[in-house]
Amino acid sequence: MKYLLAPSLIALTVMTLVGGARAADTVVELRFENHRFVPQTITVPANRAFRIKVINASKEPIEFESFKLNRERVVGPGETIIVNVPALSPESYDFYDDFHDDVPEGAIIAK
Amino acid sequence: MKPLLRLTVSVLLILFAACVCPRPSAAQLDPWEFEVYPYQTLGRGTVELESLNSVIAKGHRNGDNGTSAGTLPSQSMWHTALELTYGLTDRIETAAYLNLAKPSGHDFQYAGSKFRLRGSLFDQGQLPLDLGWYIELESHRVPKFDDQKLELELRPIMQKDFGAFSLMLNPIFEKVLDGPDRHKGFEFGYAAGIYYHWRRFLSPGIEFYGGIGSIRDTDPPKQQQHYVFPVIRGELSHGIEYNIGAGVGLTPGSDPVIVKFNLELEKFVGAIFGPTSGSGSFF
Repeated sequence: MKYLLAPSLIALTVMTLVGGARAADTVVELRFENHRFVPQTITVPANRAFRIKVINASKEPIEFESFKLNRERVVGPGETIIVNVPALSPESYDFYDDFHDDVPEGAIIAK
Repeated sequence: MKPLLRLTVSVLLILFAACVCPRPSAAQLDPWEFEVYPYQTLGRGTVELESLNSVIAKGHRNGDNGTSAGTLPSQSMWHTALELTYGLTDRIETAAYLNLAKPSGHDFQYAGSKFRLRGSLFDQGQLPLDLGWYIELESHRVPKFDDQKLELELRPIMQKDFGAFSLMLNPIFEKVLDGPDRHKGFEFGYAAGIYYHWRRFLSPGIEFYGGIGSIRDTDPPKQQQHYVFPVIRGELSHGIEYNIGAGVGLTPGSDPVIVKFNLELEKFVGAIFGPTSGSGSFF
């Protein structure tokens, strides 16, 4: 088993060392109600990690998802979740409810 | 260091670590499962039906070569795994697989079953490296496809997001519990992928699969299997996702060309358990 440790530890160390993005103190709030996200657009500072507080104020389950940010999480009715987002380069990033195609897509704008 | 350069350096170092340092790994590569597992598990209360398919477009003409672990040759073999997954909690999912195979000139046949649990640790982005785990039991009762009757598979899951890139690594540790090789130790293999999040419906990636055999008695390099798969993947409407690619074998022991295409359909059906506690990191 000792042979298993070497590659795993090396891989872990390398990937950890090259990493950097950490959760930050900045929290932006996003509510889901009346079958849409409010606000539809979130503006955040570029190159700084932040967190999104997603509140599902509706009576239907949703899946908060962002393809570009590689984040997805089910949020039940009345539930609140926190999504950690690493520092972003200046760009627009999508978010949407993956359970309902008819919910308008929102955008996180880092600038 | 720029994200792409960091990714490249990471992948090269990890492959070096997996292939050179240890002299472990080479678990039997699973042709029913050309899939790299991410940190994120299926959403709580969601069911996913997935069809994992691969065709050996150019393979070996004798059994027990390339992706064949039984008496039938790999050439023109079609593999289909039907996977049903359910998100138990925000961090744990469970799945069952039905493996089917269609040898050249024959109909589809039962080839085995698998059951697994997969989980994620901590919140995504909480640690510099997102970590998860995977434990699977594989049952084979059809020696012509695989002469090992029961196998245990363990995978640590590692993921790192760099801007629009994601790097995923699944070292694979496999042990035969019942079958001719039950007295042997663990085998080692790997599944890894680099993905670029370009468009939701269409994004490119490169996947790597392979194995080096028993950890204690590594296969000679020429007999090992290593593959590179350029892939495209994306999400379509109504919860449909796809991943399509063509793999090239890098060693004489590999099948020269494999084509894979995976399709999955997700639907929320209702959660058994409540949301993960804010302070919980394991369930």
